[in-house]
Amino acid sequence: MNAPDRFERFVVPEGVRKISLEKDTKITNAATFTLQREDHTVGNLIRMQLLRDKEVTFAGYKFPHPLDYHIFIKVQTRGKKSPREVMDDALTDLCDEFEDIKSKFQGEVRRMRSSSSGFL
Amino acid sequence: MTTLGENRRLPHVQIRELKDDYCEFLLSDTDPSVANALRRIMQVEVPTIAIDLVEIEENTTVLNDEFIAHRLGLVPLVSNAVSSMTGVFETAGESGFMDVEMTLNVKCTSDETMEVTSNDLQLDPNHPEVCPVGYSHDAFDPEKKGILLVKMRKNQELKLRAIARKGIGKDHAKWIPVATVSFQYMPEITINRALMDTLSEQEREDFVKASPTPVFRYNNITKQVETDHIEQYHWDGEALAKAEELGKPGLVTIKERQDMFIFRVEGTGVLKAEDVVITALDVLHRKLYTLQTSLPEQDDVAPLPGVQ
Repeated sequence: MNAPDRFERFVVPEGVRKISLEKDTKITNAATFTLQREDHTVGNLIRMQLLRDKEVTFAGYKFPHPLDYHIFIKVQTRGKKSPREVMDDALTDLCDEFEDIKSKFQGEVRRMRSSSSGFL
Repeated sequence: MTTLGENRRLPHVQIRELKDDYCEFLLSDTDPSVANALRRIMQVEVPTIAIDLVEIEENTTVLNDEFIAHRLGLVPLVSNAVSSMTGVFETAGESGFMDVEMTLNVKCTSDETMEVTSNDLQLDPNHPEVCPVGYSHDAFDPEKKGILLVKMRKNQELKLRAIARKGIGKDHAKWIPVATVSFQYMPEITINRALMDTLSEQEREDFVKASPTPVFRYNNITKQVETDHIEQYHWDGEALAKAEELGKPGLVTIKERQDMFIFRVEGTGVLKAEDVVITALDVLHRKLYTLQTSLPEQDDVAPLPGVQ
């Protein structure tokens, strides 16, 4: 049995950064982020959010192999903001969005509960 | 909340049906990537409780130890206590308990075949709220028979200790909190009025009948074709084929709306369907927040050497 341990899919090994970035050596204002123990869920989510930013000229993600538990996100900007800054903004917006969805969902749950209890 | 980012969306949520084990809601004004992330998280990253370790003391049944351990793992356990538990891979120092210990000790003494079910499990006295879904001691109610683990004949015995733990579906499918979770793109059907006017009344009625789902309606008064129960459209393409057959391609156009999604969440009884959604949103938020806080300060930080 040489199968990798199941937990390797979601436990970041000791001493490894959850997220790191490397500047592109050939293209200006471009960088590659490496996200450890993430997959399409977060990769596609961040890519689509980055593409909404007008400063971003390129954003793409790659999940290289099902047994490599990390993704790469490549970003290039126009130059007013660095790749790190656009990533920071994208993550802020997404955080806010999910917080927003959660409070709206909870509001709806309360609405459903109160309307159904009215018939009892 | 801070000022609204210029690229921030303002999504809307509308719940249509809410039961303990089923939730149907509409998520709109957002992106498919958000809908799909939510779906993926609900399925595979919402923590629940399941039996993870089994210590077998005595097993003289026809099933081998591993087989029984696997069956025990798949028994759904009521997981409302999961929020006060710590998972094996979570950082130490977090408060909360890790193990829930259940025992099973049965021996068949009668000549008749005995059925060992999830109802024979003895719960952890410290955590009696963690029990199999539908756990009951009412042996005579056929509705509450429990989940069959193994059948025994006379003098067979099964004695074991099972430890239930917090986990996620990514680790093993037994921790998946839902039976099904799906989202559907809202269809958008537009009728080309000018082209429709070239059809005879009979042709219009035939066109309406061509769709197996009641997506179109023929208005007897205005003699017009109208769209009806749009979201019942099954992407069957029958209406499009009929338009083609009538020699009028482009009579209707059907598209998947990219900003409106119908979610259907079917729970297994482990967690309430609404709690699955709320926890999933929490997990996603925490995930993104962790990423943001661990974003390096400098513009060039490689992952530590020696690690890919």
